[in-house]
Amino acid sequence: MAVLPEPERLAVWSRWMQTNAEDCGITKAELRAAVDALDDFLDANATALNNALPQPARGALSTAQKARLLSYVTLRRWGG
Amino acid sequence: MATRVVCTPFSAEFPSAAFPQLLQTNRRPALAYDASTDETAYWTFIAPQGLTGALTLVVTYAMASATSGTVGFQAQVEAISDGDTVDTDSATSFDTVNNSASTTVPGTAGYIDQISITLTNADSIASGDLVRLSLNRDADGSAITDSATGDCYVLAVELRDAA
Repeated sequence: MAVLPEPERLAVWSRWMQTNAEDCGITKAELRAAVDALDDFLDANATALNNALPQPARGALSTAQKARLLSYVTLRRWGG
Repeated sequence: MATRVVCTPFSAEFPSAAFPQLLQTNRRPALAYDASTDETAYWTFIAPQGLTGALTLVVTYAMASATSGTVGFQAQVEAISDGDTVDTDSATSFDTVNNSASTTVPGTAGYIDQISITLTNADSIASGDLVRLSLNRDADGSAITDSATGDCYVLAVELRDAA
């Protein structure tokens, strides 16, 4: 999968700003750069992320299920 | 300068789409203007007797979360006089947009700041006119640099004249 198309990146950027309720010391442009960088990173490392999953989960879970799993673990570790 | 009209969040009117959410922040009514989509609110009033000279709009706001960056607002005036031919059923007649300066937000979210917008284009407003004031955040930065993240809470809007 390629990186997210522009409207999708805009949607992520907007959604984050709409839901963030904590002090934010960066500008919209800086936040947008972070969105782009994360998407680029996930695109470049998608195979490595998938390979980090042991079998049988790697083969049995759908891409969407793996994505939700990644988001849950990430939020639990650093989501506050 | 004299205060002629004070507009509050609860007295705002809204278009059918792309409007700021009416909410409370610490029990204070606020209009939450989005950071990425231009959103608009209106206020209707009768132009006060004695209104004179150049008009200035003062927007009192606080940021929901941002502590850096800038915001920009755009104001428009629609002034309809007795006998004018504006069909209020179906038409609007806002004058040209008035832009604020790109204004640095307070360094602490929740602290207020006040932005003045000189209403150079005020639709030839005169005492007794039926007036509609439009206020939008230029969130997409089409005319004013608006770089602050998160919602901008508009807490009050004041119309001043030269008296």
